[in-house]
Amino acid sequence: MDLKWNGEPPVVHMEGITKRFGSILALDNVDFTVERNQVMALLGDNGAGKSTLIKILTGVHKPTSGRIFFEGKEVNIESPKQARDLGIETVYQDLALVDLMSITRNFFLGRELVKHIGPLHWLDMHRMDAATREVLTDIGITVRSPRERVGKLSGGERQSVAIGRAMYFGAKLLILDEPTSALSVAETRRVLDHILEVKEKGLSVIFITHNVYHVYEVADAYTILRHGKKVGTYQRGELGVNDIAALITGEREK
Amino acid sequence: MGAPRTKEKNLWDLFITSPVAGPLATMIVIWVVFSLFVPHFASMRSVSGIINAATLTGMVTIGVTMLMISGEFDLSVGSLVAIGAYGFAFGTVFWHSPLLGIVLGLFIPAILGAINGLIFVGTGIPSFIVTLGTLYIYRGAVWLLSGGQLIQTLERPLVYQIFNGRLDVVNNLIPGANFRTSLLWLLGMTALFQYILTRTAYGNHVFAVGGNPLGALAQGVNVRRVKVINFIISGTLAGLTGILLFSQYRSVRVATGAGMELSAIAAAVVGGTLLTGGAGSIWGALLGALLISTLRTGVILMNIPFIPADNFEAVVGVTIIGAVILNNWLRSRG
Repeated sequence: MDLKWNGEPPVVHMEGITKRFGSILALDNVDFTVERNQVMALLGDNGAGKSTLIKILTGVHKPTSGRIFFEGKEVNIESPKQARDLGIETVYQDLALVDLMSITRNFFLGRELVKHIGPLHWLDMHRMDAATREVLTDIGITVRSPRERVGKLSGGERQSVAIGRAMYFGAKLLILDEPTSALSVAETRRVLDHILEVKEKGLSVIFITHNVYHVYEVADAYTILRHGKKVGTYQRGELGVNDIAALITGEREK
Repeated sequence: MGAPRTKEKNLWDLFITSPVAGPLATMIVIWVVFSLFVPHFASMRSVSGIINAATLTGMVTIGVTMLMISGEFDLSVGSLVAIGAYGFAFGTVFWHSPLLGIVLGLFIPAILGAINGLIFVGTGIPSFIVTLGTLYIYRGAVWLLSGGQLIQTLERPLVYQIFNGRLDVVNNLIPGANFRTSLLWLLGMTALFQYILTRTAYGNHVFAVGGNPLGALAQGVNVRRVKVINFIISGTLAGLTGILLFSQYRSVRVATGAGMELSAIAAAVVGGTLLTGGAGSIWGALLGALLISTLRTGVILMNIPFIPADNFEAVVGVTIIGAVILNNWLRSRG
């Protein structure tokens, strides 16, 4: 059954999400909505349930109960691949890229371009290199060659490559898991710029972090979780940055 | 970063970043040293001997290398070589059917390889332990299959000549050469699996699964499937090795192939494969097998008093550690 929406449905609407791991209640009846072309900050301290909520959305975990609507239609997301087929791209903090592999091979991992004659098929390295080089130029990374190993890139460059990859493959919703927590100030700045570019291209973004100061200026709305429960969702300008920080830690009740 | 691009630099870069750089450099050094100092080393006779001795280990190493690049070990290959050889012997000696021999020699090890993979995927026990267990279990199966008896034959049917006969076309051209047809099988399989590894989407997944399994999974790669397929490849190539072995010696006994699992891992590592997965090459593994075989022959020919011929393993040990140090150094620069 689909819900009735006033106007355009949101990109994602999660309703009454509960998740138990054995006797531990990780998420308790959480509602979470991301509108089209919105940068949503998902905030909470360690163990608040941010990652669990996102892993349910990306098909890593199944919710104990609750429903998920993608672009207005109810969906059952069973695997990361299925989430990706819907247009949900996730950039994980540590595990986005394979260090030992080239940028091109990372870029097209799981979605390699191939040429074939009958049953024989092989990688179209030429086309993949060209596309990767184009995206790298687009997002302002200068590398000698797209065949360079990812391990030689800086933390910020790696985040940028992963974001560029998500954009290239036509994501509708980009999820960034703690994208700035390991970065220098200058690199954080660049990743935030990329997020604004992503939004300009019409995508929606979920930015997961425990540090509101990193996301305050780019987010359109903030959803705060604490101990597996939702504290609330606030629009930009509704609360000051210090108020949000206080809600995250529970120094202040809403 | 942002360095000017020059042709010379690219060629050198290409070499230094290639996984074959380490083993190739070691190989050249050892061949030069042995050619200068070891009597009779630089002869066609010893060269073809070195290559023949490396062929069987080389074939096992291809599958073991594929698996190691994807982050897993197969210690059961030595037992699977014996099973492959017995299967082939049953078909060709008892039933006089080459086809049945090939089917038994390849399929039984392939299925046992699949079982390795399924136990690993199903239980989550590290593959090192799973295949340490099946090393003994499959060796026990050899006992059951054979009743503890060796099989040997004096016949020389065509099928043996095809798998591992004398390569007279080449031997007649080069005086002193003594190559065997198994070399062609080895080169063919090396080329095939190098192609799969570096030129296909599947190969890309193998590297990713070994280099960063969670990252590969997040990109939609079926990590378990890739690993199970590699266990099957490893088992099948061990079976093929058994076929080559029986075709050459025309005899197989219960202990056949014992210890090959460690030779194969040694060859893979000397050939630049990372023990932790994510990097390596089939050409490198082939060079690794050749390198160990070269050392064996060289050390035996040198006749050093404190390293008798049957103690060459100590030299292999030194080479393994030395080669890994060299490979790591090259990798950190590349």
